[in-house]
Amino acid sequence: MEEKLYSSFVDATRNVFNSMLNISEISVRAAEHFNCDDEVDIAIGIAGDLQGEVIYRFPAPTSLNMVQIMSGMQFERIDAFVTSAMAELANIISGNVFTSLSNNDMKCNILPPVECNLDEKNGYKVKTSCCICTTIGQIGLEIRLK
Amino acid sequence: MLWKDNYQLGVSLIDEQHKELFRRVESFLRVLRSNNCWDEKIPQINETLEFMKRYVVEHFHDEEEYQLRIGYPGYEAHKKRHDGMVNYVQEVSRQYQQLGNNEQLMQQFGGRLMAWLINHVVIEDQRIADYVGKKGMD
Repeated sequence: MEEKLYSSFVDATRNVFNSMLNISEISVRAAEHFNCDDEVDIAIGIAGDLQGEVIYRFPAPTSLNMVQIMSGMQFERIDAFVTSAMAELANIISGNVFTSLSNNDMKCNILPPVECNLDEKNGYKVKTSCCICTTIGQIGLEIRLK
Repeated sequence: MLWKDNYQLGVSLIDEQHKELFRRVESFLRVLRSNNCWDEKIPQINETLEFMKRYVVEHFHDEEEYQLRIGYPGYEAHKKRHDGMVNYVQEVSRQYQQLGNNEQLMQQFGGRLMAWLINHVVIEDQRIADYVGKKGMD
């Protein structure tokens, strides 16, 4: 199940990048390749048949590139507009994952996105993470399930 | 530009409405993101916000009428998504008034609206276009 969930998130991220940002070159690497110290972290809680959270780590340059592509405007720094756009993208990707899983009788709900500080919370049985590499920067993805 | 040619669905009625909707949202975002100080922007923000609120509702209504007319099977689910956004817009508007023209809230609103709208058009509305194509309508 964890493997299916992980690949569903990667596929959904790929689809959203392709359709919303017109970016099709995406590769997945081990989490160790994720290299960033200035990022927007967005957590989406998972409830139902699976419980836990998925955390999207958007480095500042990736976030700025994404909003620039979407808006056609220049963005110089991370602010409430950029963070909110990243939160909505995380919400969209997660919504697509759980809609597709519900077709396989997996009933889960997602909670509204919240900006979070990445920490090492205990109590999760499963932790999967990876680095998604695109032509406009990396994204870190971390899935934590109870 | 906010509108990109690859957002076109190939259904002329919807595409024309989308272009207009994106034009309105873009003009709102340009005011929101301009370098002027917030106090100077407030009158224009308030004016464009009010106008855009009405336009979003009108556009969704027109799109729903079209879906009913063509017998689109995903009408209920699509309307639910529209209603969710309309409720969000109304709630933000209420909070904005209550908080006295808060800039942070309006910036959050702008970021979410932009991402939501693009996804809605390229993913959700594409399904309507697929249905129209399958049925050989326009």
